[in-house]
Amino acid sequence: MPGGTGRRPCFPENGKCGVKLKRRDLIPLAGVGAASVYAALQPGAKPRGRFGIRSPVAVVKAANYEADLTGQIARGIAECGLNVRGKRVLLKPNLVEFDSATCINTDARVVAAAVEVFERLGASEVSIGEGPGHRRDTWDLTELAGYRSIIPDFDRRFTDLNRDDVTPVKSFLNADSFYFPATVLRADLIVSLAKMKTHHWAGATLSMKNFFGVVPGSVYGWPKNQLHFYGIDESILALHRVFGSKSFAIVDGIVGMEGNGPIQGNPKPVGVLVMGSDLVAVDSTCCRIMGLVPENISYISRSTSGNISEDDIDMRGESVADTTTSFKVLPAFQNLLVG
Amino acid sequence: MSASALSSRRDFLRQTQNADGGWGYFPGKWSWLEPTLYAILALHGDPAADRGFQLVQRWALPQGGWRTSAEVAESNWTSALCLTVYCARNVKDQAFELGLRSVLGTVGMEGSFLFQLGHLLHRDLVDFDSSLQGWPWRPQNASWVEPTAHSVVALKRVEASGLKERLPGIRARIDAAERMLLDRRCTDGGWNYGNTRVRGVTLPSYPETTALALLGLQGHPKAQLKPSLDLAQHYWRQAKSPLARAWLAISLRNFGFSRLESAPQDPPKPSQDILIAALQCLGEPGGGHAFLKTGSVA
Repeated sequence: MPGGTGRRPCFPENGKCGVKLKRRDLIPLAGVGAASVYAALQPGAKPRGRFGIRSPVAVVKAANYEADLTGQIARGIAECGLNVRGKRVLLKPNLVEFDSATCINTDARVVAAAVEVFERLGASEVSIGEGPGHRRDTWDLTELAGYRSIIPDFDRRFTDLNRDDVTPVKSFLNADSFYFPATVLRADLIVSLAKMKTHHWAGATLSMKNFFGVVPGSVYGWPKNQLHFYGIDESILALHRVFGSKSFAIVDGIVGMEGNGPIQGNPKPVGVLVMGSDLVAVDSTCCRIMGLVPENISYISRSTSGNISEDDIDMRGESVADTTTSFKVLPAFQNLLVG
Repeated sequence: MSASALSSRRDFLRQTQNADGGWGYFPGKWSWLEPTLYAILALHGDPAADRGFQLVQRWALPQGGWRTSAEVAESNWTSALCLTVYCARNVKDQAFELGLRSVLGTVGMEGSFLFQLGHLLHRDLVDFDSSLQGWPWRPQNASWVEPTAHSVVALKRVEASGLKERLPGIRARIDAAERMLLDRRCTDGGWNYGNTRVRGVTLPSYPETTALALLGLQGHPKAQLKPSLDLAQHYWRQAKSPLARAWLAISLRNFGFSRLESAPQDPPKPSQDILIAALQCLGEPGGGHAFLKTGSVA
């Protein structure tokens, strides 16, 4: 379980819980509107890139999980010009397994901070959902990972996406229809709260791969083997086609995982949060920070709905050069390394 | 769990039954086949279980198998659980016959030419014997531990009920699946979802899947299972997950371990998870774990 947090959850009697904000946290929140206008007026907003516009990606520093995460997430969102007022926001963390010796999951303090920020920005609802791929006792995982103790009002917010009610979506890959959780389909905005990790099948798992967790185990099993039969890359791309247009990414790279990820790798401190609405651009930027070549990761290079090239990404906040920390990879993925 | 706690869990199941007779995974959610089947077993003999079974009978598919839920008109691994429930209620109607044929006709894709070719070319990726086939979570997928364990338990129950001669394929499937389960046993003696090694790296087992695999292997020589049973007892002493503890209780009791200590740390409040509540009932003395017992069937 993660250790103590610099932000102690409060539990007000009215049930409207929240992480206590320091005064300085509110500065970037108040500046969202201004930042959006500012962003639109910047040279970077001129139509360029693969799709006629450069994709804003914000990289903000957070040295550790005791840092001002609320302020930094608010700053990144503002840099990207995201408007969530009145929207039903679903936070989708990466919760896979728990091992106290390493850092498999999106840290609970990042999720808690995101809840706080999206509520402050006027979202009509901020819920959390995840459907782990291997373990069936999702609630126990949330307990072990510290979610239930750290995230305010967690039990009310959380849905086990593996066992939610489902609704069919037509024409998903080879299937006439494919079932997705109702909680995911009804969300106006899905925030992929991914973890910056290497992956023993896909090379890297970031905000796009994180969508495997929305596939319901109650229909497709544990692991979600149907996606492997469709092809991992094909499935990532198909999920992105379904959900990418209503998604935003916040990648927890404060401590990532290198080597034999996504479960048995080693902690890799990077000290960043990476954010943006173009998940392909966010994942490409994460790869560069990890010392990986995004064009060599199949699902990224094959994506037709996002920007990959540095020329097509409008970096906000920190630069890639200032945050690059080379990740170790398994021998099978040496081709992903820069140089 | 005390007798009053068991009674309380059963009350919880009665109170959360949906109007259609089924149960959702959580209170107020649509009915799904899986929690409905476990609730039926946990409430065996209760009118609520009868109403649940009537829904299951309505969900039988004309081609064999049962709907996964009111919304999902496809069968998956839960059809094997249906066979177990039909056996527990001693119902052998046409839906049962079609369901049995559907389960027997479902096989992991390891046996396909393309899968075997891929496995031969990339043997370092995952380490298992692809000639041993069990059951997938859903048709046209590979075999995994949990659906295989459920199917083996179901077929052993069917076999014991006297259908062996009419369906000679049953024993062959059971034997192959038991070998598959043993092949997928992790080096620590337990089981995870079904991979022992990925890219040359050994993977650990999980408590709940260890319990399930042991259920599937009931009747095997105990000497061969001793390391696994030792691990299951270790998990029982350590595990906090209510799901894991429920499956461990069911499994260990069916292997004759009648005296199980209480949980190392009780959960702060009774779970609102209907599937877990039903399994907790089954794991108690007299709670119904014998419906999943094979070998010398109770």
